[in-house]
Amino acid sequence: MDKRINELGKTIEKILPEVDGVIGLKSGPSGIVAPHLFAKERPEELAFLAVWPKEPVPDTLKIILRAHPDAKLAIVCRGCEERGIVEMFKHAQLKLDNVMLIGLQCEQSEAEFCRCAKPYTVHAKLTVGQPIQGVADPLTNKIAAMNLEERREFWKQEFEHCIKCYGCRNICPQCFCNVCALEDEKWVQTGRLPMPNPSMYHLIRAMHMTAKCVACRECEETCPAGIPMAVQFRLIARDVKEMFNYETGAVMDQKPPQLLVLEEGEYQRTGLPH
Amino acid sequence: MNTEPKIIGFLCNWCSYRGADGAGMARLKYPPNVKIIRVPCSGRISPELVLRTFREGADGVMVLGCHIGDCHYSTGNHRTAKRMPVLKKLLEYSGIEPQRLYVNWVSAAEGEKFANIIHEFTEQIRALPPFRETMESRTPIEIKPAEKEAVWTSA
Repeated sequence: MDKRINELGKTIEKILPEVDGVIGLKSGPSGIVAPHLFAKERPEELAFLAVWPKEPVPDTLKIILRAHPDAKLAIVCRGCEERGIVEMFKHAQLKLDNVMLIGLQCEQSEAEFCRCAKPYTVHAKLTVGQPIQGVADPLTNKIAAMNLEERREFWKQEFEHCIKCYGCRNICPQCFCNVCALEDEKWVQTGRLPMPNPSMYHLIRAMHMTAKCVACRECEETCPAGIPMAVQFRLIARDVKEMFNYETGAVMDQKPPQLLVLEEGEYQRTGLPH
Repeated sequence: MNTEPKIIGFLCNWCSYRGADGAGMARLKYPPNVKIIRVPCSGRISPELVLRTFREGADGVMVLGCHIGDCHYSTGNHRTAKRMPVLKKLLEYSGIEPQRLYVNWVSAAEGEKFANIIHEFTEQIRALPPFRETMESRTPIEIKPAEKEAVWTSA
């Protein structure tokens, strides 16, 4: 871990004069790690550079770019955060013309913590650390192997713990709609607990994460009830890859399938009647 | 126990609804379980709408639209063709039988196809237990898989 911080510090130091600021993680006086804007005016702050735990930096980038559209920024991002930034770019949430990506490759222990299939960056020109192989996700595989009744019971018992704090939606880098279906009384009965079964809240969110979820697992980490909701998103991501040949964050120019009309051969893969 | 299944059919105004009209005009017989709701386009049926229909107690939901390429709004049914397969998969992953959601294409001239589809789908739903019942049934199974515990304690 230390080795990467040193290397990252040197990389940031090198590019600091060229840009207005670098978004990275900084540990505060009490040891709490939070996103921070490192600037050339305050190079001494680099001593408090941190890399773990991961924070939703794509949102930080978006907030700063909204306030300063012409700022020239660099951002330290892991594989998942890079995917988040790319998907935000595709959905016109931010512009990447003046943004430099600094890729931070995850370590084996971090990848295992996140059950991450792609703990490496793809688009970043500057990278820190050695890219490693993705790890298998035992929980997703287990649920994929269950039958219908087992799944029904599993999710029912998981969703019963939900306290509807909307934390998963708030932290998600891909949840940026101005009007949220989850706040609409028509679909989700707000303020009522426990969740009805089937849980409209989670099913709608899973549906809206189709071809958008970047598998950063921020939702699971932030959930006070520990609901493994990203499992549903990952299972659907497998199908989206099969049906529409789309992987989030993989190709910068590829548009998400929900924004396009059907293409040649796609209909046959959806399994609908001819 | 043997209650009649409740089915809601969302029919597109331009093709499927006319097809249903044609079936009625031709005096074709089909089961009365399907309550038809006319919508401007099958692309108007959002996943939220289907999920809410289930929540309100429907045992099956049908979404019928124009054939691909014949949409009155040129690409409205492309959205249906992209959304509904994903929604079916999601239902499956959440433990709801995916065959409760039915998507097909019926043109204005296909009254007979419409009647056949209703027959077929009603029989399909009749074979399943009522939706509400399946949601309430409670057979305690072992949850909290070891993998999950490991994940949450390793932090």
